[in-house]
Amino acid sequence: MSVVSRKLSRVLWLIVLVGAGWCPDSFAQVQPQSACQIATAPRTAIYFVNGVTTTLDEARLNGGKLELEFLNKLPTMAPSVQAMCHLFFLNINPTAGAVTDFLEAGQQRLGLTSTAVWTGLEGFGLVTSGAIVQVLQRPLTNADQIDQATITRHAAAYREQIAAPSCRRVLVVPHSQGNLYSNASFDNVFSQTPNPPVGTLKIVGVATPADTVRGNGLYRTSSTDLLIEGIRRVLPGTLPPNTNWSFSPLLLSPTYSGGHSFIGYLTAEPSRTQILMDMESSLVALASVNPC
Amino acid sequence: MRRWCQETGVLVMTIAALGGLLVSCSAENSPSASSTTESIAGTDADANGVRDDVDRYIDQTYADQASADLNKAVRQYAKAVQSSLLDADSPPLSLTHATERFRALECLMARRPSEFHRIFVDVRAQLLNTANRSEAYLKADDHVKTQTIPLLPADQWVTACQS
Repeated sequence: MSVVSRKLSRVLWLIVLVGAGWCPDSFAQVQPQSACQIATAPRTAIYFVNGVTTTLDEARLNGGKLELEFLNKLPTMAPSVQAMCHLFFLNINPTAGAVTDFLEAGQQRLGLTSTAVWTGLEGFGLVTSGAIVQVLQRPLTNADQIDQATITRHAAAYREQIAAPSCRRVLVVPHSQGNLYSNASFDNVFSQTPNPPVGTLKIVGVATPADTVRGNGLYRTSSTDLLIEGIRRVLPGTLPPNTNWSFSPLLLSPTYSGGHSFIGYLTAEPSRTQILMDMESSLVALASVNPC
Repeated sequence: MRRWCQETGVLVMTIAALGGLLVSCSAENSPSASSTTESIAGTDADANGVRDDVDRYIDQTYADQASADLNKAVRQYAKAVQSSLLDADSPPLSLTHATERFRALECLMARRPSEFHRIFVDVRAQLLNTANRSEAYLKADDHVKTQTIPLLPADQWVTACQS
């Protein structure tokens, strides 16, 4: 093979690699889950818990993305998972104060326009800026930055789902700082009497700044996640990366280039597939437990 | 093979870093659409609940026939955000408008399940193009941070579309 051919081959491979990551997934119109048509089918409540710079609208979209990707994969999941009716919820982590800090830091310290800050809220330029990292690291590295009222509210929602008459298993999928809330809420749920049955609440963490996932839960943090990598430098006990976004073109985008975006985690491979596999195995475990 | 992979990886990451930097720089240096003295409401000459500059953005960005459904979905979200900004001092109205925003976003996800986030990021950046509009948006969020807003399941998102 000549040098020119080798170079041409490399360019073609690059185009294939980039194209494979860039092409949007095709979704058919979402159909109702067949198990949800059966009144006696077991129910699960799947919660998304948002991270620190996530506004209400982004939380809705992140939860929607999770639902879309999950339902798209559901037909190929284990029979015990398909036999359950999965209901999706949000547990909001109120981060407007942090976004305000973020906005002020972006505008005042970096001289960005409002439009630029909103466009690059999770992007490379802001995530790697010293001024912004300070704003983000404070709530992510200090346990006292998460508020007890939110933990109590989240835990109450999980307990209500598990208890009669709902009798639902609960799977929590937190992103970023949401992992700190989910771990604390898990402790809260099982520290109160009557204790729910063990194993009725599972966590699958995404982009976690924590050093554990309660209940022996699973997690995925990307090696290209610049924010969590920054946290790890401050807190070496932070769970190590165990996935990546490969050569995803998302890393070129001002919106996703910090490698921390939840939408990015559920778009790039292999992180998307691995998160869905973690959800599936957690739901298989949940299926074997009777909440009531 | 390993060397090929390493070289290719370095090449891709270099392109990524340079590309990201260029895009970031262009975003940072783009001129502000409005001065900081502009009111939260802005100008809505046709009184359709959406600022005229945002109307123009939507019509220019989603102009073709194939984007007609998207044009309406984005405008539905824009109208809900504009209401949120104007009523940001009122906790009950903030909850009402946050619910309207959720329905609009569900419509957007139904219309473009693979592209909705990029579309959302772009139109929200247009809507919140001044500091006072951004602050009003966050203030409205703050009123409803402990509320539970009902969600539509994915198979019903399309019913959230107003037209």
